[in-house]
Amino acid sequence: MEDLVGRLSALDPDAGAAIKVIAYFDRLVEGRAGLEPVVRGAVLTGCPARLVDDERGVRVRVDAEGVVDPDVGPPDPAWLSAPLHPGGPPALWLERAGPAGPVEAMVLERALSAARGALARTRGPAPADDVAAVLDAAVDERSRLRAARRLGLGATARAVAVDGGRAKVLTADQEVPATRAGVGPTVPVADLPSSWAAARTALRFAAAGDEQDPGPSVVHADELGGLAVLAATVGPGSEPISDVRDLERARSTAPWALATLVAVATTASLRTAATTLVVHHSTLQDRLAHVEELLGWSVRDPAGKLRLQLAVALRRLHQHP
Amino acid sequence: MTTTESDSTRVGPPPPFDPELAAALETMAELPSTITADLIPMMREVMGQRDASDEELTRDGAFEVFERTAPGPHGDVPLLVLKPTGSRPLLGALYYIHGGGMVMGTNRGADSTKAFDLAQELGLVVVSVDYRLAPEHQHPVPVDDCYAGLLWTVEHADELGVDPERVVIGGGSAGGGLAAATTLTARDRGGPALAAQLLFCPMLDDRNESVSARQMVGRGIWDRTSNDMGWTALLGDERGGPDVSPYAAPARATDLSGLPPTYLDVGSAETFRDEVVAYASRIWAAGGEAELHVWPGGFHGFELLAPNALISRTASGPRGPWLRRVLGA
Repeated sequence: MEDLVGRLSALDPDAGAAIKVIAYFDRLVEGRAGLEPVVRGAVLTGCPARLVDDERGVRVRVDAEGVVDPDVGPPDPAWLSAPLHPGGPPALWLERAGPAGPVEAMVLERALSAARGALARTRGPAPADDVAAVLDAAVDERSRLRAARRLGLGATARAVAVDGGRAKVLTADQEVPATRAGVGPTVPVADLPSSWAAARTALRFAAAGDEQDPGPSVVHADELGGLAVLAATVGPGSEPISDVRDLERARSTAPWALATLVAVATTASLRTAATTLVVHHSTLQDRLAHVEELLGWSVRDPAGKLRLQLAVALRRLHQHP
Repeated sequence: MTTTESDSTRVGPPPPFDPELAAALETMAELPSTITADLIPMMREVMGQRDASDEELTRDGAFEVFERTAPGPHGDVPLLVLKPTGSRPLLGALYYIHGGGMVMGTNRGADSTKAFDLAQELGLVVVSVDYRLAPEHQHPVPVDDCYAGLLWTVEHADELGVDPERVVIGGGSAGGGLAAATTLTARDRGGPALAAQLLFCPMLDDRNESVSARQMVGRGIWDRTSNDMGWTALLGDERGGPDVSPYAAPARATDLSGLPPTYLDVGSAETFRDEVVAYASRIWAAGGEAELHVWPGGFHGFELLAPNALISRTASGPRGPWLRRVLGA
């Protein structure tokens, strides 16, 4: 008869060991074990382990003897780790430098799978589910307010739509992530579905910020004004008006063309536009003369500038239907 | 409670194992739930490989380790002595009897580790007895060996540096049964007065008919069939019959009065559960003092096989405090 720690830490990295790891965590899941047993299971690799889920405020560390022990400082990035969800931050750590052997890799995978179940059961829905709930007008208001409390929201908040359609809910003073995003207005939490609708509209006006789609990547819904009305008129199947087609044509003639037009449309003066583009003022003048000929209208007088602004806005709506 | 009318109690499914224990058990598929007589040589060899060396037993100098022999009716009985070093006053002596189903194990095996931990923590001299094993040596040889070792311990209390009135007897599994039997022997022969008895998941009842025994067929560690094998090794054809001595199977004792304070523990998912609960109840009924812990979802020997599980750590927690109270530390 042998004790388990000795056994697993001495295991050869063979198929038998992997099967034992799988069986171990399957049994924990079957028995509805909590987070501590799951992390203690990871300790069977012979080193301390910790589970960190900042979104849920979870930190469980178990030392090499299996005793739950408050963590002693931040994890070392060199340690073996794996995220709860693909692309997420590291959640489960084995306090040992890599590379992971087959047993460690299997333990990380199985322990995380067990941890996901235990987290969902013991710590309530994932925050992502609560975020979805507070933004959904179809969810009854009481449930939305409960979800808002679990998320730690106060009386007011704002919805943020980020590139790809993912949602975030932030308080007014929380910073908007540095990515393509539409920011809804700050509203009472019960009205977050309307903030979310506005945020999604704003996201359609947000540029990717690259050569294909130059311009500001964060757009605030409450700065859109009448442009928001335009959004409803452009959908997945709608035909672009000729000004939008002309913009596309201009873009295809020179790599700088679209960026130049967007800069002119969004700055107060040509001098500022030249600074933004990091080109000489006279270069800008030459380039504008060239694209104005392609477009067939002047972008330097007020009416032409408005026409350009609308064309740029409409083009984005087509790009992000 | 022990069930002798096997038809009168409806037997439900066995209690579920604690999730961590179930997971640990899952990784020990090669450890059989059922140990039959033909497995004894192999099991003795496997357990023997885990015997602690003298150096390991010193625990980095915490114990001085030496061996003695006690004269017994069936020949000399080897004793292993662990004496705490250092200037701390000794609390007493722990006379310890190892487990192994009456048929295997030694006085320096892994199953005694927790008891040695307890002695180290409290400052107790350990005397660990290497009694002769069944089936080669049937009753009364094992309990006679154990009693001989106890007499030696009390008689040599001065040499060991302890108060002879502070000798505690303890044992796990088969050793728990032998500790209970040795305590009954001491009481009935007017032998040494023991300060306490520690019965860890003890093997007490050769009849092997309780609800828990029937629930654990083919399951966990030391199932009903293994238990039948162990008792049969000790008692031969007498096992389960009308004439089994209480000095072999303490559950057979009709009188449980006059016993020292008793600590008992057992898992809810093991063969011995009901006989241990019954033994505690009968001590109380006789006006004695007992502390009983039934650890939910514990299979036999769970502390040994899954030492890191929370329930294993929890189970070892109350022993030291109990012993301190009983010894008036």
